Amino acid sequence: MSEAERAAEEVDELFALVRRRYGARLTAEELEGVRRGVVAIVAQVAALRAVRLSNADEPVQRFTPFRADG
Amino acid sequence: MNPVFRPLRELAAALRARRVSAVALAETFLERLERLGPRYNAVVTLTRARALAAARRADDELAAGRWRGPLHGIPYAVKDLLATGGGVPTTWGAAPLRGQTFDADATVIRRLDAAGAVLVAKLAMVELAGGMGYRQPNASFTGPGISPWARDAWSGGSSSGSGSAVGAGLVPFAIGSETWGSILSPAAYCGVTGLRPTYGRVSRHGAMALCWTLDKLGPLALTADDCGLVLEAIAGRDPADPTTADRAYRYDGEAGAARSFRFGVLRGVTDGCEDAVRENFERSLRTLEGLGTVEEVSLPELPYDDITRTILFAEAASAFEDLIESGGIAGLTAPEDRYTAYARDAILAKDYVKALRLRGVMAREVDRVLARLDALVAPGRASVAAMLEGEFRSAIRGTARDVMGAVGNGAGLPAVAVPNGFGARGLPTSLQFMGRAWEENTMLAAAAAYQSVTDWHTRHPGEQ
Repeated sequence: MSEAERAAEEVDELFALVRRRYGARLTAEELEGVRRGVVAIVAQVAALRAVRLSNADEPVQRFTPFRADG
Repeated sequence: MNPVFRPLRELAAALRARRVSAVALAETFLERLERLGPRYNAVVTLTRARALAAARRADDELAAGRWRGPLHGIPYAVKDLLATGGGVPTTWGAAPLRGQTFDADATVIRRLDAAGAVLVAKLAMVELAGGMGYRQPNASFTGPGISPWARDAWSGGSSSGSGSAVGAGLVPFAIGSETWGSILSPAAYCGVTGLRPTYGRVSRHGAMALCWTLDKLGPLALTADDCGLVLEAIAGRDPADPTTADRAYRYDGEAGAARSFRFGVLRGVTDGCEDAVRENFERSLRTLEGLGTVEEVSLPELPYDDITRTILFAEAASAFEDLIESGGIAGLTAPEDRYTAYARDAILAKDYVKALRLRGVMAREVDRVLARLDALVAPGRASVAAMLEGEFRSAIRGTARDVMGAVGNGAGLPAVAVPNGFGARGLPTSLQFMGRAWEENTMLAAAAAYQSVTDWHTRHPGEQ
């Protein structure tokens, strides 16, 4: 399967999920807009997945354990 | 004195010398907001009673010789995503939230109160700060933001009213917010100076959250010096916002005097810019060569726009989960804002985390470039303001590229935008300075040095 076919398949699967959740409240035109959004997101994350990182490359997301005073 | 279009230090000196009263200033700007604000769709709520009470208090203190600093007695306004107590609505620009109120003021407003500044209005903004994917200026229940430079031109967004109110002389300064472009865009399109502080410099407590790891609050004003004075009043650690840094900030208004700057220009940064934007930028570079050195630099190839956009979409989808899941977005003004966010359920958790990991790489790479420079410079926007009708291009939607914006916001870096000329239809263009984290004083010094040898920031529109 080519990259383009894999991407198209991912779009179909993710769009099906979105349509199942929200399709009842959307018009056909709006659903087509949502589909274009899913296509853009799949292309966007493909660009992220194409960059190789090492195990040591942590997310920039500071987490601080919480402990109440006293 | 006519207080309109005066820099803050001039207003402060007049107040301190009792040549003008704080009440007179408040009444002047309230009258302008009321009379001219509707022309630009700039105002959501006038805070007249609160303003006059604060102004009377400032006058009493100044008469007693108690001077709180350069903002004492000076009117200002805020983007309507900052909470205000006392029953004053905080609408976030969204029709479904027109009646929303909060119990207390946002930290930024409390700090400006403590500095003696006088809140006169809450200003219009793009609904939910543009987080639902708007494609057109008409994306707020107050109507499209209008630039003071032309009735058919957009003010930019999402801090639309903050840009147009300062540009039209309706307030001496205003507070806006930026997640990606929301201070720099209205500053550019309204011909004013805008400062995006380092992420964590200014408390977001009491501000609408669009993206917790991208949102920043900052001033729009007439000059870089004005922005520095405001930043000093609002910056600093806030226990109510754990992302604020424990770093004191003192504005150094003399930092640019008699020093030389090292400016960098990203290779290809004017690709896709309008001709006049490119020409004005090239003229600005010649001016900057008189203030220091200018060299071309490059960043490694990374999907910068995709990194920041993924973070933005994923966090916005969570921040507005209730409004999206309930279908409440159907009440928004721009038709595309009523459905675009649904697509963001397609962002997988591991892709969001990958974006956060790549953000670290991006932050290190841009810091490596900036470490031997004082600032990267670039056009503030690739074009002049869009027409009110029709769609505009946007890096956030992926219909344009904005590496400076993607990197600057993704890595949380400070930037200052200043007017640098005029382009198509006589609309203003802009120059941005972007620097290392916590280098606001260097950005402000560079911008002030530019403004000391140019007069674009002193040009103001007539009453359109």
